[in-house]
Amino acid sequence: MAKLTDSNSAGEPEIAVQPTTYNSSDGAYTTELKFTETYKRFTDAHPAIREAMCLKAEYPSYFTAIRDDDLFAGRIKHGRVGFSMDEWGPTAFGYYCQPDEIMKAIEDGLVPPERKDAIMEMAAFWKHEDTSSKLRASYPKEMAEYLPSDDWMGSSGIAFPLYRLTGANVNFKELMVLGIPGLLRKIRDSRAKAVQSGGDHRLFEAMEIAVDVLVDVCKYYQKTAEQKAADVRITDSKRSAELLKIATTLEMITVSKPKTLREAIQLFWLYSLVGDIRNYGRMDVYLGDFYANDLRSGMLSEEEALKLLQSLWQLMADRNTRVHGRVIIGGMGRPNIESADKFALLAMEASRTVKEIEPQLSLRIYQGMNPELMEKALEVIGEGRTFPIIYNDDVNIPAVAKGFEVSISEAEQYVPFGCGEYIIDHKSFGTPSGVINLLKALEVTLHNGKDPLTEKVAGLALGEFKDFKDFEELWAAYKRQVEFFVDFMARQEELEYKVAGESAAFLFASMLYDDCMERGKAIFSGGIHCLGGTLETYGNTSAADSLTAIKQLVYEKKTVTPEELLAALDSNFVGHERIRKELRECPKYGNDDEAADDMLLRVHNHVCNYVRDQKKKTGLHSYSVVIINNSANTLMGHQTAASADGRLSKTFMNNGNAPSSGNDAEGLTAMLNSIVKPDPSIHAGAVQNMKFSKDLFVNKRPELKALLETYFEKGGTQAMITVVSKGDLEKAMQNPGNYRHIFVRVGGFSARFVELDRDVQLDILSRTLY
Amino acid sequence: MSFADTGMVLDILRFSLHDGPGIRTTVFLKGCPLSCKWCHNPESQSYKPQLSFDSSKCTNCMECVVACPTNSLSSVNEKLRVNFNLCNACGDCVDACPRDAFKIYGKLWTVNDVISIVLKDHAYYKKSGGGLTVSGGEPMAQFEFTLELLEAAKTHNVHTCIETCGHAPTDRFAQLLNYVDLFLFDYKETDPDEHKLMTGVSNRLILENLNFLYNEKANIILRCPIIPGVNDTKSHLSGIHALTEKYPNLTAIEVLPYHSMGKGKAERIGLNFELSDIATTAPEQASQWLSKLKEYGCEEVRLG
Repeated sequence: MAKLTDSNSAGEPEIAVQPTTYNSSDGAYTTELKFTETYKRFTDAHPAIREAMCLKAEYPSYFTAIRDDDLFAGRIKHGRVGFSMDEWGPTAFGYYCQPDEIMKAIEDGLVPPERKDAIMEMAAFWKHEDTSSKLRASYPKEMAEYLPSDDWMGSSGIAFPLYRLTGANVNFKELMVLGIPGLLRKIRDSRAKAVQSGGDHRLFEAMEIAVDVLVDVCKYYQKTAEQKAADVRITDSKRSAELLKIATTLEMITVSKPKTLREAIQLFWLYSLVGDIRNYGRMDVYLGDFYANDLRSGMLSEEEALKLLQSLWQLMADRNTRVHGRVIIGGMGRPNIESADKFALLAMEASRTVKEIEPQLSLRIYQGMNPELMEKALEVIGEGRTFPIIYNDDVNIPAVAKGFEVSISEAEQYVPFGCGEYIIDHKSFGTPSGVINLLKALEVTLHNGKDPLTEKVAGLALGEFKDFKDFEELWAAYKRQVEFFVDFMARQEELEYKVAGESAAFLFASMLYDDCMERGKAIFSGGIHCLGGTLETYGNTSAADSLTAIKQLVYEKKTVTPEELLAALDSNFVGHERIRKELRECPKYGNDDEAADDMLLRVHNHVCNYVRDQKKKTGLHSYSVVIINNSANTLMGHQTAASADGRLSKTFMNNGNAPSSGNDAEGLTAMLNSIVKPDPSIHAGAVQNMKFSKDLFVNKRPELKALLETYFEKGGTQAMITVVSKGDLEKAMQNPGNYRHIFVRVGGFSARFVELDRDVQLDILSRTLY
Repeated sequence: MSFADTGMVLDILRFSLHDGPGIRTTVFLKGCPLSCKWCHNPESQSYKPQLSFDSSKCTNCMECVVACPTNSLSSVNEKLRVNFNLCNACGDCVDACPRDAFKIYGKLWTVNDVISIVLKDHAYYKKSGGGLTVSGGEPMAQFEFTLELLEAAKTHNVHTCIETCGHAPTDRFAQLLNYVDLFLFDYKETDPDEHKLMTGVSNRLILENLNFLYNEKANIILRCPIIPGVNDTKSHLSGIHALTEKYPNLTAIEVLPYHSMGKGKAERIGLNFELSDIATTAPEQASQWLSKLKEYGCEEVRLG
């Protein structure tokens, strides 16, 4: 997850990385100690067995109570020590421990005194035993030297590794078809085969234990629900009945496969929690038929189904994965189009009414789809919900087929996860486990290998800026700098899978990922169909705009010398305002301007193709750039000096594939014409943020639809639409330079909001309600 | 003055949604034969390039004073003064100012350069029923440029609108007929004398042209700016109604409520703005005008 935190596209950071409140089962680290004890006891056991026993130690203890409005069981609060495929802090994944938080609790006197020593000993034990420490210890010398820090949010550098295996999209459809009993049967059959053929039967034994853990969780909640139902039988008979329904549902899913929407949701939800699966995949495919059947049989009305989904949505929101929680609806390659579309409409209504940040509802669209879906999507977006995020299958499917080198029918199963990285549903993995700051790479190159913020060596010394004879020499040096770090990042990704595969079987992923069961291997130990990887690039536009300005001013017009430019950048333009102005006036990406857009394409093609070529140097099935949206543009921007696009030191860089804030001054069509230019078939996802005015949604709906249709026909891959808010207009008044893209309606015509007189702005502000 | 090759362009606005149907590119030409008291684009009145100075951005750093070759700029009591009479809009101060306090309104463009920008959004026009709108200032005042622009647009199959005050020789409208799909035709005041007082010209020629276009079966949207205390009179509103009776086949009638945008812009280019006391029309007020017009029998009127 590239982004541990999200920020709005204006770039304000929200620094909240760790789960902020601690609420272990008893506050005395009982479960963490038990977990650690179990791990030690099974240190030399088969990794899958060790993992299964550890899961048994942590669950159901880390599950928390059913809340009053819940229609499903399943809330979780992970401990300070545990096991997860995803991350619980910047370097906490796999077997993880959060020593800083534990030490703080001890310092604050929050642990029982008699346990203090045992808890400290536990933290010390994990220091070298947790998965991320093992991973870092495996780095070759040169890699460790050039990737000295894991603190990508708080230190300056070109590239950083991320410690996580994120973005798993398991086969929930299969889970729905098999149910728990069917899954157990499949595991037992596979085990028998493995025993016969001399395969790794312990893996399947471990899977059985893992399924047991899931059953334990069901039973735990069944009991809790029954108890609660009894407690409120007199005082709240309605809630009591609901709780009994929850209990019955839990009981049913342990003994047979799900038969109703309610059972299906309950099973899916607990599986995703116990496996720490944070992205929910093509939900209309695996839930659509249950919904349609329940409607048909009269089991549920639409309103009742909506209530169920609203409750699920709230549980997802409260789970707070921050950057994940993707629910995919719509799109090609669905076997059950009619019932899936019905479900998709219900999902959008749930997102309209449950006003939360998760789930990140994502609608895949295609030529010929049911037009109701797009109508509904615009209705929901128009209310300022920012969901659904729209993905264009007509462009993305051929691009994914080419990019991942898979067939069209496989590409039809692409799913965006997290911040917008693509993988093939339950077939491939592509954890974004590295970040590279392209603007920083340029900055270090201009300073001959030094980081001007730390004055330390931060990259290759490839020559002084003044000694580059022409732009092409500078460009070659920049490329070399980027390539040097990309090589490390690809190798790091491969190492991450290797260390993970040696440490654990990631059972809940392996059970529902192609082709693990068939091959008799765990997901990262040779089981998965396609093991790919992704690298998050940041500052793409900022780097390209900087290169455009340098090319024009230093090498073509020669109005600024390399020395003058460096002096201006190093002083954050203080005393060099004229140079900054010249830089800012150079063409910028996002205005349908050929010079600026061509440079972006140069930057894009170079990094995407070089990253792709890493598959030849590593054992990865694919390695791809992702150009995604999150707070990294801001956080890494804070560690990046002033740049030649006129950007000030330590301020945010551009976001995703978007123009830098305020630089798209030629209107929406120009912006869209620019952002469709980068080739989508050489990366694994790029996000396109756009902000529209309320007026456009309410009063110009036909034009809005025409705009989006044209954008998608021109090759638009994706659209994340924000309907502009009063808050944005207020910020625009305070900081007009960054808000030139906001257009507003003033009486009989439109104007750029920031060009209006203050009184007119106030007038509009008073009328624009969100 | 011939404008055959180049025109004095004030601005090119892409993704314009309010100057004709669909998604459009609006090209604003500089210069207008009228001088309406309420003009919301005072920078579009003069045919020449003009300097605009926004004092709120100025820190009195004097860089512009040094750069100015015509001595139009001076600092008096720590405040920058602009003598607009001396200024020839050379733009040296624009380059010199680190804070973007200056800008020049108006630049010469060739038809080809304008058309190449217009064509970039062709796909959006096709999908939305939009196209090119030539606006002003008054596009008829740069007639040859406007004609060539519209001809070029039609060559490329682009839908065209022209937004006009109607004050130009009728034979020019005749020449345009084949290249304009929709006229956005202003109707500012019914009484000829009042019209002269408010805009500087009588409405006689304007009405003749409207009559001519109507009889030629041109598509016309009548656009009626309503300014509180100036032309929101019973006689004018009745006049609008009378006109719609006379011309029942108008494509639409739009009321454009007044807004006070012009004031600040006028000050920045060194002009006095006569209507400084009138506030932007509240939506409720605009609705009232609409109801009144409907009372008089104007059923098909809408807000523009």
